[in-house]
Amino acid sequence: MKFINLLKKELSELVNFQMLIGLVATVAIFMILGGVMKTTIDEAVDESENITINICDRDNTDFTESIIETIDAVNDDPDSNVTAKINIIECEGEDYSAILEDNDISGLVIIPEGFTASYEKMEQPELISVSRMTSAATMSNMDMGNEAAIDLIEACISSTIAEDTGMNADQYKLMERPVILTENTVVDDKEARISPANIMSKIMMQNMLLPIIVFVLIMMTSQMLMTSISNEKIDKTLETLLSAPVSRLSVISAKMLAAAVVALINAAVYMLAFSVFVSGATDEVTETVSMAAGSSLTVDQALEQLGLNLAFSDYLLIGLQLFCTIMICLSVSIILGALIDDAKNVQNMLMPIMMCAMVPYMISILADINSLPMVLRVLVYAIPFTHTFTAVPNLMFGNNMLFIGGLIYQIIVFIVCIFFSLRLFMSDKLLTVSLNMGQKSKYKKKNKKNSAQDDEE
Amino acid sequence: MEKVLEVKELTKQYTKVLAADKVSFDIGKGEVFALIGPNGAGKTTTIRMISTLLTPTSGDAFVMGHSILSEPEKVRECITYLPDEAGAYKNMKGIKYLQFMAGLFCSDLDEIAKCIERAKEICKLGDRLNDKIGSYSRGMIRKLLLARAVMTKPDLAILDEPTSGLDVINAIEIRKTIKRLAHEEGMSFLLSSHNMLEIEFVSDRVGIITKGHLMVTGSADELKQRYNAANLEEVFERVVKQNEIH
Repeated sequence: MKFINLLKKELSELVNFQMLIGLVATVAIFMILGGVMKTTIDEAVDESENITINICDRDNTDFTESIIETIDAVNDDPDSNVTAKINIIECEGEDYSAILEDNDISGLVIIPEGFTASYEKMEQPELISVSRMTSAATMSNMDMGNEAAIDLIEACISSTIAEDTGMNADQYKLMERPVILTENTVVDDKEARISPANIMSKIMMQNMLLPIIVFVLIMMTSQMLMTSISNEKIDKTLETLLSAPVSRLSVISAKMLAAAVVALINAAVYMLAFSVFVSGATDEVTETVSMAAGSSLTVDQALEQLGLNLAFSDYLLIGLQLFCTIMICLSVSIILGALIDDAKNVQNMLMPIMMCAMVPYMISILADINSLPMVLRVLVYAIPFTHTFTAVPNLMFGNNMLFIGGLIYQIIVFIVCIFFSLRLFMSDKLLTVSLNMGQKSKYKKKNKKNSAQDDEE
Repeated sequence: MEKVLEVKELTKQYTKVLAADKVSFDIGKGEVFALIGPNGAGKTTTIRMISTLLTPTSGDAFVMGHSILSEPEKVRECITYLPDEAGAYKNMKGIKYLQFMAGLFCSDLDEIAKCIERAKEICKLGDRLNDKIGSYSRGMIRKLLLARAVMTKPDLAILDEPTSGLDVINAIEIRKTIKRLAHEEGMSFLLSSHNMLEIEFVSDRVGIITKGHLMVTGSADELKQRYNAANLEEVFERVVKQNEIH
């Protein structure tokens, strides 16, 4: 009953209007971002299938006309899902900016005068491509028209040369694509007929989610518990609470549980919001890439065939490791929260935890920790949070010993941290110890007048 | 007189400072005992030890016969503690705060309701109890906290500087409440204060502490007579200076 009372109070302190607004805003931002990404990608895909080619023929020969006719013939090819709209632009001079502006276009391919003459002399004819750049964003500058036009013109010239040299259609096809590549990926003793690049891109997208959730969880649980303890200490509500007929263990357990529950709610909301964002942005691309590569398998089928899909027991183990991670954060936060004597110091005290989360997070994104030099690898593995970031890849690729080792290490770290933090919370030091970060704290100033133990600090 | 608190040679040694040195005194039922002393004299340390927040280096104290060393949980059931310049949870409404604190002392819902009614009467905050504590003035917070400290009818209420930082009107109200609760309801109080006028008005007995030593105890009149002083302020000055010479 008393514990429930304490827990309700802690939850009501943590769950407030600002927090709810923050959560709703986060979901909204991610959903809007996901929507924007999806629209941009859809537009890009649509644009790649419905190309607008702007072409200016300044050579005006039979040869260049036949090239333009060949480009137009793409629309008649039943095997191609690409449609090309060809705009013939009349333009003169080299003021390309004015040409693009006058014709209200963003890209143009110019066949200059002397193009046919160069070809006939078997010299490389020059082709001019003009593209307008409007921003630094990758997607906004994707003009497929020029690229497609250049490819088609090159193919057209190649086939003309092939014809002139007496090559038949099959020979030309062989020259164009001399080999058919069949890609296989092997994981342990399992194999699938798919490109490793496709597998990697899918795994990367799946694994992008968990480290972000872990990072949010670590930061939120730590900050909430530290702020909760330090605020109680600064406002002296902690003294009132500890002099009431409740055990210190109940007080700290209620704080830990409330921080963990609120952090988990936050993490779940972030996960939901981020998955909306990721699915909007990436799913379509992965499937498009996999199908375009000519694989007979979808990426999901290939993952299953290679044994890279996680089983239910794997998810349980990941959950256990996440739980250990949260408990380590909470126990360290008790110690750090008890040392804070000024609300402004919460951010400073959060730094060690943030660095311990940031380093493995960044490394896990950029490199395989197991491929680091020995000394660096030991250092990175000494950070308990590293094992949470490597949990999914370890389970996926069957590095079970590494996973179990990491879990045992985390449990040991937790036992050590909780031992010291509970010892601190149960002792006089909770009320007398403080870490002055080079400034006169509010807490210290308040007590200087009245209590003798401040001489100690 | 039934003893509510017995302090026996209570000592607290920090690494460099002897904050309390064999402090001994007792408080009877319905008595208001004031601990006075200069800054850093050991008042708060002594009070925190009796409140079971700090562990004494040696000595012991008994609240209603329960030792602070061996039965701290039972001691906490008999006392309430109001720290100096204490705050309350700013995002909580006044009424919720009272409910929360009452819930820590009582398990029965009827008892909790009675405690809250009593607190409402004592703090006289009316409808403002439905507002968040963050919107309260300092005087209102102090009244709320005092009401919280006495609503459960503890055997001993420990109040560290109960009126510090308050205006005259609010301070008078709080002093009157303490005196009424002691004399009409038999509640015992252990106070600490710097305000000699307040001490003379509210306390039955006074203990002067300096450099961790409890120098003298007695009623304000007894002490004035003993030190041939016109008021408690003069007594305080003489006791403190006497200790400095020694």
